[in-house]
Amino acid sequence: MSTATQARPPRREAGRNPGLLRRIYRHRHDYAYIAPALVVMMLVIAYPIYDTIYLSFFNTPPNLALEDKIFIGTGNYTRVLASDSFHEATWNTLVWTIFSTLFAFVLGFAAAIALNDAFRGRGLLRGILLVPYVISAVAASYVWRWLYHSDFGVIGALSVQLGITDIPINFLDNTDRVMAALIAVNVWKEFPFAMIMMLAGLQTVPDQLLRAARVDGASAWNRFWHVTLPHVRHVALVTILLLLVANLNSFTIPWIMTGGGPAGATEIWITHIYQLAFGRIRFGLASAYSVILFVVMMTMGWFYVRALTHGDDKRPG
Amino acid sequence: MKALVTPRTAPRRRYDPWAVGGWLLLAMFVFLAMLPMAWMLLTSLKSQFAALQYPPEWIPSRPTLDEYVRLLSPASEVGREFLGYLANSFWVSMATTVLGVIVAVPAAYAFSRFRFPGRNLLFYAVLVRNMFPAVVFLMPLFIMMRWLGLVNTQWSLILTYLTFGLPLSIWLLKGFYDNIPVQLEQAARIDGASRFKAFLLIVMPLSSPGIIATAIYSFITAWNEYVYALTFLNDKSKLTLPVGLQKFFTEYATNWPGLMAASFIMSVPVVALFLILQKYFVRALTEGAVKS
Repeated sequence: MSTATQARPPRREAGRNPGLLRRIYRHRHDYAYIAPALVVMMLVIAYPIYDTIYLSFFNTPPNLALEDKIFIGTGNYTRVLASDSFHEATWNTLVWTIFSTLFAFVLGFAAAIALNDAFRGRGLLRGILLVPYVISAVAASYVWRWLYHSDFGVIGALSVQLGITDIPINFLDNTDRVMAALIAVNVWKEFPFAMIMMLAGLQTVPDQLLRAARVDGASAWNRFWHVTLPHVRHVALVTILLLLVANLNSFTIPWIMTGGGPAGATEIWITHIYQLAFGRIRFGLASAYSVILFVVMMTMGWFYVRALTHGDDKRPG
Repeated sequence: MKALVTPRTAPRRRYDPWAVGGWLLLAMFVFLAMLPMAWMLLTSLKSQFAALQYPPEWIPSRPTLDEYVRLLSPASEVGREFLGYLANSFWVSMATTVLGVIVAVPAAYAFSRFRFPGRNLLFYAVLVRNMFPAVVFLMPLFIMMRWLGLVNTQWSLILTYLTFGLPLSIWLLKGFYDNIPVQLEQAARIDGASRFKAFLLIVMPLSSPGIIATAIYSFITAWNEYVYALTFLNDKSKLTLPVGLQKFFTEYATNWPGLMAASFIMSVPVVALFLILQKYFVRALTEGAVKS
């Protein structure tokens, strides 16, 4: 990307070279432009991270009188890691994140390939397909609750009318099916994101290469595998990482559709943290939980940075 | 920067099996993507009695706009509440968007033009914003808002949305400023304009597509946000739509046509904004990840 190369200073200077203070002084007026943004961001991003880590070592009283909190060291961590609900939520989170990401990516990529050829009305189709992504997750969750409704839901009625089942399928009250049902909603909501990312990636594949491969007699599959795929590998990696992160962070769909139920079958980390913090008002415990989540996120963040910064060098052209 | 969707040479052969497969696939995708939306609209046009029928009627035999009338008329109690939520959502989203642009424009310009130590910070701020779950920030922010006395005010939401939107807004805008030649500004300054004047008269107009993209993105994100609104606001009169919907309909058992009508009304501004300005929105989404 041209912006990234422009952004880098001409020479890479070490962080604490003797000239740093002088350089900061020389550029002091520049900071005035970013000061408002910096202040707001520090206040609402940096401070909360610090505060979460700090609180995770305390037992907080349920009335949230934080001056009465009690230092308990790593007690919250051992409590979280040893609890059954943590293990159940971790398993659910893995299932939710991996399957949502997998299906959203595969479907999104397929849709992107189908949209990549020029035809009349492509812009309109792309717009229609993006609608699930832009509407509010709250509205989407309500609609899907209605579609899945155990007595009057369309999907249940349809399965009876088509002779697949005798009675309407109960999706949301059945512990075996509810996770799959929720993942379907999530995939419906976010496959357009994968689609638009991959479509943007596909547009960067040089036409000449594809034509040359065709002239040389490469089959459609071979053209895809050997020409298209290597070009979009980087975008695919970034898309998958962003989907993983988004899915690890999902809250609205499980919260509105099932609230983590029935019997904890759809309880994932985020809904569990929310429940601990604002249902049971256990800020200390929920903070320890959050810090564990931080660590997972940081690990993924590391891969994300690598994908964003190292991807450029390897890309041909 | 060139547009994302560049026209290509049209396929020559008409009945390429791959193309036919692609068309079928697209038809299926459109069907699946639109089905829930269509059902939302169809249900909202039914009476409550008609909605609770088994098997369901696909097309309402007696379509009615009753639910819309009820929701949008200030005369009914339900209508007053709903219009209140709608107004709150507009206020919060507009304030977030306008403040966001005001703060992001100078910052993005500085990150694009100046070479000061610490400018890589932006990159990491964007990253942190993308990586960390909103729910994790809830507790410390709740404590902070309580300390600032902002809990149960809409300013707590505006401040939060503003911040969470900022890194991406700045990143996006920076991309636009990077593409405006510095020479244009230099020419203006040689002609005697101050740096600020050059910025205002040369750079701002050229970067307006970027500002529009950023503004739409902020607006849609704020309009749809749920978890902060759920946590920070208690007062029924202050709720925004996403939370309002929930409070509203659990009280009187579930009125599905009403809920669908409300969801539809809530989706209209976002979908309309998006369809009109699709190009910018797509750009906002893909910027940074796809290099051209």
